[in-house]
Amino acid sequence: MSKVKNIETDNLGRPVEATTKKTGMGIKASRRISNIIVYAILVLITVIWLFPFVGIVFDSFRMESTSQVSYLIPKQWGFGNYINLFTKTDFLKWFLNTALMGVATSVIQTVFVLSMSYVLSRMRFKGRKGLMNIMLILGMFPGFLTLILIYKVFSDLHLTEGMAPLGLIIVYCASSGMGYYVSKGFFDTIPKSLDEAARVDGATRFQVFYKVIMPLSKPIVIYTMLMGFMAPWGDFMMASYIIHENNEGMNVAVGMYEWLSRTMLNTTYTRFCAAGVTVSIPVVAVFLALQKYYVQGVTGGAVKG
Amino acid sequence: MATVKLTNVVKIYEKGHTPAVSDFNLEIADKEFVVFVGPSGCGKSTTLRMIAGLEDISSGTIEIDGRVVNDLQPRDRDIAMVFQNYALYPHLTVFENMAFSLRLKKVPNDEVYARVTEAAEILGITEYLTRKPRALSGGQRQRVAIGRAMVRDSKVFLMDEPLSNLDAKLRNQMRAEIILLRQKIDTTFIYVTHDQTEAMTLGDRIVIMKDGFIQQVGSPTEVFDMPDNLFVAEFIGAPKMNTFFSELVREGNKYYVTPYGYRIDLDEDKCAILREKGIESQKIILGVRPEHITRAAEGGIPCTIKVNEMMGSELHLHVSTDNGDSLIVRLPTVNLTADERAHMTRGNSLAIDFQSKVIHMFDPETQRNLIK
Repeated sequence: MSKVKNIETDNLGRPVEATTKKTGMGIKASRRISNIIVYAILVLITVIWLFPFVGIVFDSFRMESTSQVSYLIPKQWGFGNYINLFTKTDFLKWFLNTALMGVATSVIQTVFVLSMSYVLSRMRFKGRKGLMNIMLILGMFPGFLTLILIYKVFSDLHLTEGMAPLGLIIVYCASSGMGYYVSKGFFDTIPKSLDEAARVDGATRFQVFYKVIMPLSKPIVIYTMLMGFMAPWGDFMMASYIIHENNEGMNVAVGMYEWLSRTMLNTTYTRFCAAGVTVSIPVVAVFLALQKYYVQGVTGGAVKG
Repeated sequence: MATVKLTNVVKIYEKGHTPAVSDFNLEIADKEFVVFVGPSGCGKSTTLRMIAGLEDISSGTIEIDGRVVNDLQPRDRDIAMVFQNYALYPHLTVFENMAFSLRLKKVPNDEVYARVTEAAEILGITEYLTRKPRALSGGQRQRVAIGRAMVRDSKVFLMDEPLSNLDAKLRNQMRAEIILLRQKIDTTFIYVTHDQTEAMTLGDRIVIMKDGFIQQVGSPTEVFDMPDNLFVAEFIGAPKMNTFFSELVREGNKYYVTPYGYRIDLDEDKCAILREKGIESQKIILGVRPEHITRAAEGGIPCTIKVNEMMGSELHLHVSTDNGDSLIVRLPTVNLTADERAHMTRGNSLAIDFQSKVIHMFDPETQRNLIK
């Protein structure tokens, strides 16, 4: 005789799902344990990541010493390092140079990238796929391969040293259209019929772009601008070649490096930390304000919705 | 309001490939409602998009109101278009969506307001004017899309499968509304659909297409009663026309057909046409619409019922003949007694019959209608 299996049913006679019944340790308890483990790992990683930054912030307010110390919390707090930074050094000039390069690059690069992406997303022309492949392959070569060549050309054009900010803006913007992938992916998700509807409604191609596509592409515009701003803001390698130790055209990364190489680190360390914090403030502020759009921009092309 | 004329229009997407549209010739009269219908990939939407200027023409000419528009941008063609997926601007309110074209033309604000509110009233969407498209249902969105086209007051109104994204009930409702709308705005309409019911109910004339070629142009009655070829015969009408091989036999001045060994004498009208064309006895494809098949009073073609579909007002029976052909029979339930209905179930036999005047005959090789 076979064993009859009792199946629990609800009031309409439907079988009750087995998962709703209590089994062993219980789902809640096992979920809690796994959460504890995951959060513990995350907290540990966060501490490791944040520790250097917190250390730099504390050091920038440290008044009792200008060199590195073996403890974290300053004994004497103050803004002396920041005041020195802006009154006794050329930091403000470097900061403004970098900001100018960042903003100009950001604007010009956004125009280039978005135009390129829109064209590659919407227009069909001979050699389109070939062009996209070439740009993809070229993008795989590291930028520093061209350093010497760029320096030579820019030096002949007098776009180095004192004129380095202009030269660097050209360097940063020149091939920026090749970074079309993310924004093209985003534009691809905007239905083509919107362009067509607008064209039938009487819009020119350009009007379609700025009246229909741009308002729908806020995340990708912001993402592109952020990326355009970030590259020159933190650039050291290309900038150090083009600026070539000329104080007039210095950006913050190259300028701060000069402190480390020219003077004793012990006398400038806390000032260096203050400069580091100052440099990071605009970036942190911009990211905090725009992080919502940033995430949408990065993931926008991932799933066709 | 305008005429539209397409002369030898061809569209080839890639050289060496089959044309998407071949040698398309059509004249559309002022204020006419023309429907392009056909299965997917037949070139109907491509043709409409060429008229709109959204696709280039490989060869031929398109004229709107007597002016060749081949090289004109969509904005210069004075057309309005409704898209299948509505294509509403998501960042603009319903009002601004409808006003978009007027704003581009820099029409004064007062006039924009007047025209948009007038169109909104006709379409019953006044209360949604301040909403964004995402806050509207499918039917409301399609009304906005139609409204956006209406306010333009353009010469030609193009509609590319505007009801395809709606559910069946809403589609029927919107279809009726488009008929009413057509009476109100009284302009030239070109409508694309794959749904033969929409084509039959909306169009003054229907253009049936297949593989880029026009199969037939005619009024709904013409294409239904007198299809040019087998494709049109099967495409128009639901359920589709039954077709099967048979023999056409000439006996002096008379003709008869022999479906499944059953003799049906052709009426004199058909015989006259066949005589005039000099057609002798031959193999043919015989076509009979499901609604034209009746239960045989006596004799008839013996069949076995395979599937019984109760549609309410009518019964659709999928039957199988002795030689295995499948036919569909459509019987009005009002003519059936309860006993008869109970008998019409799977496995039971049914003898069917049809009259000479309702049959269609096609040449098996050319698939042309022999009676045309």
